[in-house]
Amino acid sequence: MSFHSYPHAVPHGRPPVKGHEPVLIYILRRTFASVVVLLLSSVLLFFLTTKAGDPYADLRGSNADNIEQLKAARAATMHLDLDWYERYWIWLKGVAGCFTGSCDLGTTRAGQDVLFLTGTAAGATMRLVTAATLIAIVIGVALGILTAIRQYSGFDYGVTFAAFLFFSLPVFWAAVLLKEFGAIRYNDWIATGQLGPVMIVLVAAVLAVVIPSTLGGDRRRRMITGGTTFVFVVAVLLLLNLLDWYRHPISGPFMVLLVSAGAAVLVTAIVSGIRNRTALYAALTTAVVGTIAYTVLAFTPLLADPSWLGLFGLFVVTIVVSLLIGRIWGGYNRKQVMLITGVTGVVTSLVVVADILMGYWASFLGLKSRPISTIGAQTPNFTGDFWQRLIDYGTQLILPTVLLALVSIATHSRFTRSSMLEVLNQDYVRTARAKGLSEREVIVKHAFRNSLIPITTIVAFDFATLIGGAVITETVFGWKGMGQLFQEGLVNVDPPPVMAFFLVTGTAAIVMNLIADLAYASLDPRIRR
Amino acid sequence: MKIRRLSAAIAAVAGGALLFSACSSPLGGDETEGGSGDDGSVMADGPCKADLGDVTTADGDIKVANEQELFAYNGLTADTYSTYNSAILDRMLGSFYYFGTDGTVCHDDAWGSYEAKSPTEIQYTISDEATWSDGTPVNYADYLLAWATQAITKDITVTDDASEEPLFNQVGGLTLGDYVPAGPEADSADAKQFTYNYERVNADWEILVDTALPAHVVADQIGVSTEELVDAIHNLDGDVLKDAAKFWNEGWLLEKPGELPDPALTPSSGPYMFAEGGWSAGQSVTLTANPDYWGPAPASKTLTFRQIASDGQIQALQNGDLDVIQPNGPTVDTISKIEDLGDSVNLETGQTLIWEHLDFNFGDSSAFADSNGGLAAREAFALCVPRQKIVDDLIKPIDSTAVVMNAREVFPFQDTYEEVTSAAYDGRYDAVDIDAAKAKFAESGLEEGTEIRIGYLDPNPRRTDTVSAIKASCDQAGFEIVDAGSPTFFDKELGNGDYEVALFAWAGSGQITSGENIYATTGGQNFGGYSNETVDAAWKTLSQSTDPAVHTEQRKVVEKELWDTLFGIPLYAHPGVVASSSSVNNVRATATQGGVVWNAEQWARAE
Repeated sequence: MSFHSYPHAVPHGRPPVKGHEPVLIYILRRTFASVVVLLLSSVLLFFLTTKAGDPYADLRGSNADNIEQLKAARAATMHLDLDWYERYWIWLKGVAGCFTGSCDLGTTRAGQDVLFLTGTAAGATMRLVTAATLIAIVIGVALGILTAIRQYSGFDYGVTFAAFLFFSLPVFWAAVLLKEFGAIRYNDWIATGQLGPVMIVLVAAVLAVVIPSTLGGDRRRRMITGGTTFVFVVAVLLLLNLLDWYRHPISGPFMVLLVSAGAAVLVTAIVSGIRNRTALYAALTTAVVGTIAYTVLAFTPLLADPSWLGLFGLFVVTIVVSLLIGRIWGGYNRKQVMLITGVTGVVTSLVVVADILMGYWASFLGLKSRPISTIGAQTPNFTGDFWQRLIDYGTQLILPTVLLALVSIATHSRFTRSSMLEVLNQDYVRTARAKGLSEREVIVKHAFRNSLIPITTIVAFDFATLIGGAVITETVFGWKGMGQLFQEGLVNVDPPPVMAFFLVTGTAAIVMNLIADLAYASLDPRIRR
Repeated sequence: MKIRRLSAAIAAVAGGALLFSACSSPLGGDETEGGSGDDGSVMADGPCKADLGDVTTADGDIKVANEQELFAYNGLTADTYSTYNSAILDRMLGSFYYFGTDGTVCHDDAWGSYEAKSPTEIQYTISDEATWSDGTPVNYADYLLAWATQAITKDITVTDDASEEPLFNQVGGLTLGDYVPAGPEADSADAKQFTYNYERVNADWEILVDTALPAHVVADQIGVSTEELVDAIHNLDGDVLKDAAKFWNEGWLLEKPGELPDPALTPSSGPYMFAEGGWSAGQSVTLTANPDYWGPAPASKTLTFRQIASDGQIQALQNGDLDVIQPNGPTVDTISKIEDLGDSVNLETGQTLIWEHLDFNFGDSSAFADSNGGLAAREAFALCVPRQKIVDDLIKPIDSTAVVMNAREVFPFQDTYEEVTSAAYDGRYDAVDIDAAKAKFAESGLEEGTEIRIGYLDPNPRRTDTVSAIKASCDQAGFEIVDAGSPTFFDKELGNGDYEVALFAWAGSGQITSGENIYATTGGQNFGGYSNETVDAAWKTLSQSTDPAVHTEQRKVVEKELWDTLFGIPLYAHPGVVASSSSVNNVRATATQGGVVWNAEQWARAE
């Protein structure tokens, strides 16, 4: 994986230590140092870009009569008659204009405004990278924790193997496979939407092996879990076939209630333990209130024909109401209950959105019979309402997101695993166990939180690298993002787009580094106090 | 599997007009359809667009791959000229002519007609029906402005010898003004008929008058009437012309990808026009049928250009995300992947107007200079270059119709190829003859093991393979071939003369006289420093005639001289590949740079 590079040691600046230096001064000092670094590296990058090739390359093979005039025209557009440092100065003056409100990042060889290009490119890249980062964090960290808890189990070995496999996967080749199976074959299959017997047995068998190995227990118990899982999965898949579920997924308030109540129980179990009845009831109340609100709102334009702003508003209201529910149930640990209801509220709203999208899936298939395209960020000239367009955006995001996430998941899970293992061997974990705390409390309260500290830095850096490192993914999936901007600039020996790329990724790296440092400080109790 | 191939020269000679017809090739295998097929496809007769008869525009969208973003409505400036931009723009800007599949100049009768009253007096008549999509008729003003962009210098004079700095940043330079200093002449600004009086004959007169952009839009944008703009061009009014040039150079840049400008700024005079909201930055550009188009109606309501690099095109075709693709730089792998798709896809391979060649360096430092090894050394080299093997190993797997090219100014798939080559070349370098090469090598007086650097633009695997094939053969004749591939070949080594043989390709444009620049003593692209009086004279005769028969005769002279004195060695025409969904009819590959979209308005979705 040439486009992701991770430092061996966990990188972080000197954390702000209270008593030595106020946080604000620390931030300013760090920012100033970063800007100096950014400036110096911009000189270097500009110089290297101008020397990266022949700006007239495409004209050399031409046998036009007026080749000298064409060269002169290009020289005028790109200031090729000036020395590189003079061109750099022109560029720098344009960038300095950003602080006075007249931003000028120059123009491309064809005369297009780079500032505007950067805006659209950054938008596309952010869409591509945000989902991948979130998915990678959630799955990667979860896998890391699970493998650390079940160290040296079959599950651990399996995940380790998969992590190394994905980490060394050639992205280009993986993209071809993903398109073949994720798009072309899936589209062929969804035309009928019936799982064949071999596939059913295969899926059930895989789950029957994976699930018992994560749950642990002795051999006999694992055999029983495995057997039960197998039978259950086969039955469910057969039922889904019968219901034509893949083309007409069942949706509605009942499913929302079922899933969000499940989520409520899970969140409670992880955060406070299922025996904390107050917390459990609070979480369940949130799920129920959410479902009722959904049922009512579904008949209003707020959900039937929404806007992004309206949806965001609803999301904020959901969080406020959830926290309120937590506060009312309260109990001896009000803060914790509010955390539980808040998280449950967020999960419930996601479930609601998923439910609506499932409801629109059949009509979406009617508009686009091959739902997953191999290229593009959206289907050209797609006519559909808000939710159908959202499905279109979503389905187009799946493949590139999976590709980007695979590598990050591999990294995150390895880092989390080693970090978690280190923490589990700490004295304070032994003390907590000796005190008689339950395993859940030991892991969630004492081990998990502390193991997150080094991971924040990795995640922050990963985000910055992903922004700049999605070149191949963008190319093969036909997204015009930052990577494309950089690549085209470099091929044309045209500095402005390259420098715009550098500005965005460089700034992102600095900001993320700063955020990582601050998060580090707020998570580590030894620094906080 | 339907495999359509462009037929090779042999078939063309035998079948005359069957040249390039999509399914006449003896290699076409199970191809059975002919004439107007039952599936609605129409077989073309000759290199120009087929007559589809009465077409009604069917609802629906055909999606074609395009590798780069749209960036200007005016794709004629030096900054914006690109085949990818033109691929889109040419669908909405009409012209008197277009290039047929083999580079033939074809007339667009719907647009109008032109007639050579004499070699220097050409009368153009625009169809009375021809109007811009905003309702303004296409007329003299548009062509006068087009002339002005290729005639007026920065000092607001009409060009004298095309070498001045131009006022308009036209990619074609000032050639038209140089030949027609008086400009097109007509009775009034809104005339439909006008005449070009050439100061001297130009062999390429047919393609000199091409795309005209809407003069009324320029006039409107700079705040004058169209008549005033016409007067300003006639009277060389500097103020108006400078404003017009400023708008013409920059005003039609589509600076904000994804945001189409006001439709009033970008009217269409072709079968398609920008679809409202049809541009998604970095993703796709959609054109929709121009309701006011007077010519044959486009077969499909919309045409979408999706932006995707070659690598992703085949899978996208398989998944139905694209209907027509033309992957850049096809390899054996490209072909086998497309062939794997089976019956759902039509594959058409053929030769293009880009041709590969080995050129000698005639500079004093070169072993092939007349002061060193001279003609004997060049002959020795030509005798040992395994041309057939290179074509068989590297090109045939991609395009089975590929042949060794024995000419420089005509292509194996063109009508006059056989005539020119039979007069100019006797087949003496067809087969490798090491013994003869050794004899010539000895005659040249070169030292055994003389280093021959074959320079090319690296990286290019096919050229690396070509050089190693030459090395394997020519080292036996006494040369010591050195692979001198370099990433800076064109800007450094070629200019400095640091090579003995240059391996690269020229892209033919359909222009008749473009070779003059390469082979004439004073030619700008005569990198090797070749000089030959007979060749110079023949070019002079050729470029001063408008008679195709004269062109062919002079080409024979040029080719024969270039073979006899060995300017260089032609190798092959580059292979091209077009693949399309079998549900789309009338997709036809072309050898020209216009690419597969050249007849996009004829593409029809099968019922």
